[in-house]
Amino acid sequence: MVAALVEAAPVLEVRNLCKRFTIHALGRQVEALAGVDLALFAGEHVALVGPSGAGKSTLLKCIWRSCRPCSGSVWLRRADGTRVDLAAVDDRQMAELRGEELGYVSQFLRAERRRSVGDLLRRAALRRGFVAEDAARLAEAALERVALDPALWGTYPVLLSGGEQQRVNLAVGTLLPPALLLLDEPVASLDARSRDAVLGLIRDLGGSGVAVLSVFHDLKAVRTLATRVVVLEGGRVVDEGPPGRVLAELAVRS
Amino acid sequence: MRDWTLRLNGLTKRFGAVTACEEVDLEVAAGEALGIIGESGSGKSTVLRCIAGDLPPTSGKAQLRVAGEALRLFDLSPTERRRLRVSTISVVHQDPVDGLDLRLSAGGNIAERLTAAGWRHFGRIRARAAELLEQVEVPLGRMDDPVGTFSGGMRQRVQLAKAVANDPALLLLDEPTTGLDASVAAGVLDLIRSLLEESGVASLVVSHDMGVVSMLASRAVVMHHGRIVEAGLTDQLLEDPHHAYSQWLVAAARG
Repeated sequence: MVAALVEAAPVLEVRNLCKRFTIHALGRQVEALAGVDLALFAGEHVALVGPSGAGKSTLLKCIWRSCRPCSGSVWLRRADGTRVDLAAVDDRQMAELRGEELGYVSQFLRAERRRSVGDLLRRAALRRGFVAEDAARLAEAALERVALDPALWGTYPVLLSGGEQQRVNLAVGTLLPPALLLLDEPVASLDARSRDAVLGLIRDLGGSGVAVLSVFHDLKAVRTLATRVVVLEGGRVVDEGPPGRVLAELAVRS
Repeated sequence: MRDWTLRLNGLTKRFGAVTACEEVDLEVAAGEALGIIGESGSGKSTVLRCIAGDLPPTSGKAQLRVAGEALRLFDLSPTERRRLRVSTISVVHQDPVDGLDLRLSAGGNIAERLTAAGWRHFGRIRARAAELLEQVEVPLGRMDDPVGTFSGGMRQRVQLAKAVANDPALLLLDEPTTGLDASVAAGVLDLIRSLLEESGVASLVVSHDMGVVSMLASRAVVMHHGRIVEAGLTDQLLEDPHHAYSQWLVAAARG
């Protein structure tokens, strides 16, 4: 009974999350999130959809804490079963949680400039406390998972194509499969072939038990990957359900 | 979560009627870099100099954990502070001239730090200096050349090698790339990041440049008129600055 309860506990539980940006120079406030509730379970892929300005990216950033929520809570279930409120933990603890239990991949390559791909991954593993030998092994495994040609492991990320760079990004975000992976437009500006390859990787991650919360501009990607769709509008959840129904109704409305 | 290596509480420094920094609190742990962002005159360098022992604070408390024991820095005698400065705390100055003897060779500058820290064996000192120079990518062929004949970027690399020579617990970096050309600065920045990652040292990075801080530190504080006006994860300070002054800084950095 207890085991079943633990099993059923969500990986992520967002409660009444609010975010208001105050822009001092303009003397203006912008309400980005107006009380979002959301639960996400292991192996689920929830796609956020809605018009631009609905708060989709802000929600991801509030979970990753590159934005600081004004109120509400963001409960993350860690690998050891304990729960932590990402809206309340201090900065140092958040820095440690990033990468360990949380992954974040956006359309922008955040790779360091003068580091080879392999070096980048190895350092990411070293930062997480692995000894050199294990770090090298983890780095190779992550790069193999994203199917990046080993001939490219020694080159600088800036020399790679957009699709290859995005695979490197994903490899960093999934070095150790996180409990929760946040994806903000991970295939934006990729050509069709790279796009399909990256989408395939994301599907595989969901299959391996990682909970994924994503924002895709491309509704075709949402349709193929998401197990559930959440519609945001004006910083609130206005609908949620299976991709087929929700996307069809969205199409009728707009 | 790792325990702090350095902890400041209520650090205040006044020069007569002028308050350079006031009620500064911060913590930094081993393997972590904390950025201190601010313009000149914000008090950020004063904070660093009080920690380093170059300035006596007006009030406040600074604790440094050395071998499990929390030392109260401001209560130590001048002799004890000098000893800490060679064994445990290292400073990297904006201008390499402040951290190096330009008449000495690169190897000699590093040897000076090691000797002060108690190293005696010539062969071992020489081997360690060579190892460090390789790490900071200074050609070994230049090991015995006076640092005065080096370029600005190379001098800064030697200063870094000297600063980490005897594995200090705390590294204080004061605008470490500010005097350098952009391309040289980028290389030195990469090097600093590698050194910080590999050594597991606790470090404070003082800079007016949010870009520099975001490259090196996962957390940072913003200082304005001697006070910390905002603290946060570095990407949060860039993405979602709260204080009016932080917002102005970010906007200025983006040009």
